[in-house]
Amino acid sequence: MLARPGTAGSAPMTADAFLALDGLTKRYADHVAVDALSLDVAQGEFISLLGPSGCGKTTTLQMIAGFVDPSGGAINLEGRDLVRVKPAQRGLGIVFQSYALFPHMTAAENVAFGLEMQKVPKAERQARVSEALALVGLSALSDRYPRRMSGGQQQRVALARALVIKPRILLLDEPLSNLDAKLREEMQIELRQLQRSLGTTTILVTHDQHEAMALSDRIVVMNAGKVEQIGRPQDVYERPATPFVANFLGKTNVFEANITREGDDVKADVGGVRCPCPRHVADSAGPVMLTVRPEKISFADQGLACRISSRVFQGTHWLFIGETPSGTATIVCQNDGVAKPEEGDAVHLAWRPEDVALRASGGGR
Amino acid sequence: MSRNGPLALIFHVLVMVFMLAPILIVCVVAFTPEGYLSLPTNGLSLRWFRAIANYPEFISAFGDSLWLAALSSVIAVGISVPAALVVARHHFPGRNILCALILSPLMIPHVVLGVAFLRFFTQIGVSGTKISLILAHVVIVLPFAFRLTLSTTTGLDRSLEQAAISLGASGATLFRRVTLPLILPGVVSGLVLAFINSFDEVTMTVFIAAPGATTLPVRMFLYIQDNIDPLVTSISAALIALTVIVMAVIEKLFGLERLLAGEGGGRS
Repeated sequence: MLARPGTAGSAPMTADAFLALDGLTKRYADHVAVDALSLDVAQGEFISLLGPSGCGKTTTLQMIAGFVDPSGGAINLEGRDLVRVKPAQRGLGIVFQSYALFPHMTAAENVAFGLEMQKVPKAERQARVSEALALVGLSALSDRYPRRMSGGQQQRVALARALVIKPRILLLDEPLSNLDAKLREEMQIELRQLQRSLGTTTILVTHDQHEAMALSDRIVVMNAGKVEQIGRPQDVYERPATPFVANFLGKTNVFEANITREGDDVKADVGGVRCPCPRHVADSAGPVMLTVRPEKISFADQGLACRISSRVFQGTHWLFIGETPSGTATIVCQNDGVAKPEEGDAVHLAWRPEDVALRASGGGR
Repeated sequence: MSRNGPLALIFHVLVMVFMLAPILIVCVVAFTPEGYLSLPTNGLSLRWFRAIANYPEFISAFGDSLWLAALSSVIAVGISVPAALVVARHHFPGRNILCALILSPLMIPHVVLGVAFLRFFTQIGVSGTKISLILAHVVIVLPFAFRLTLSTTTGLDRSLEQAAISLGASGATLFRRVTLPLILPGVVSGLVLAFINSFDEVTMTVFIAAPGATTLPVRMFLYIQDNIDPLVTSISAALIALTVIVMAVIEKLFGLERLLAGEGGGRS
């Protein structure tokens, strides 16, 4: 049995993982780019390597592709050592940020290149090329040179070129970051559907948390060469394991709080207001940092006192900034037609205990 | 519609006149019926073009020059491509020294090179041979071939080759199908410039060419030391006409622009 995609947390190392990175390390003369990265990827899974630039995500991808030699650790694909396989023999499809289409070949020639290298007979080659171009909706442009195509079209050709060889793994290196926002969103949906229907195991490198959350079964959040957290998008978002993850994946509120316990009843004292808090974190007592996402906060009759200092209309939702005794609060509300507080209003903030994460004081941003 | 102002236009015209006038004058003088260089001339004549046929040594020198330029420029490009790829991709000890070495013939006066080569070739006993001439010409055209090839190899997007490798290409196939077509503009312009530089090199070749078998420019140079007649102008005019024809043929067959912009070649 393969570990099914969607299991929470960092999956334990299993012998039958489709792709297994084990203690993968890349050291350069003056720094460690990737530090003992371990990851099991199930067949058909969509994994994102997410992190700021320089976090080692691209180096990891390059090691899987074979363009960078690891300094230590192992890469196993279907139980076989991949490091010893030459890059040209690995059978992986790669889409680069620059698309890397061959400028001297038409779209169809670009897509056919991988099949030519595999010595696929011409008739089958042509059939598969048309099929791949149809898959990305570019049948009409097969004779066009890349320079006469838009960024989105080039991106699709690059995708078709990578997919036509039926790669064992599809590696995507920031493939959408050169597209404008609207097109990027469309391509995300398309890419997701395509990957689902083909069932190709996919690893995406991105610095865009929205992209990672929209596309992936699991996200690997990386920082300074190390894995910060591995988990399903909603788990990583809702229950960030480290302050870095909490801050990197969207906005979050950090309030100073004090844990008090009365038997089984655990409360967090925030700004003089006692709020219920999740049981599982309450081994400790004393000062902690309480974090809660802006969209999890609602206005209530009682709770943390807050004075709204500014409110910004953002179309689908409202953004409020307020001052509380425990620090600045950011609140996001759906634009649902219900009357919202005005600037200067005194309100109370409330949240559900399960939407809160606590961590030791001093570990804040 | 011109986007330039009148002053800029006048300047451009003057530059063109300055560059083209000597060529034009040579071509006109070539048609003189007189026995000396004259302009304006009385009437037109093909006398001096017919005279070329009486000097077979000029025709054989022309052939030698073509061969020499072709061989030395191809060899220079053959050395330049791997060198430029290595220099563009890797930082290794001696990288700058290698570049400086290849480019150094640009900085050394050709007279000095000529004397040095003469001495060197005599020492190793190949003086006056065709091989010595080719070797010397490779050295002097190498900087041109290398510099222009390097300009495309340094701009080469590594991910293009990585994409090809991931699709299963490696070794010679990778070079032939992807790398070479991508750097072709630099390689072709390097080849052309190397050819031209070899073809009209005089200063160094005078020293090392054997009196019997020498290049066309050297032969012309030696001829005008003793004779002042329009023969050299008719030879020059013939060369210019030949160049124009070759350019037109290349344009017709491949398209100069397309060849230099790199959209040609490499197709299955």
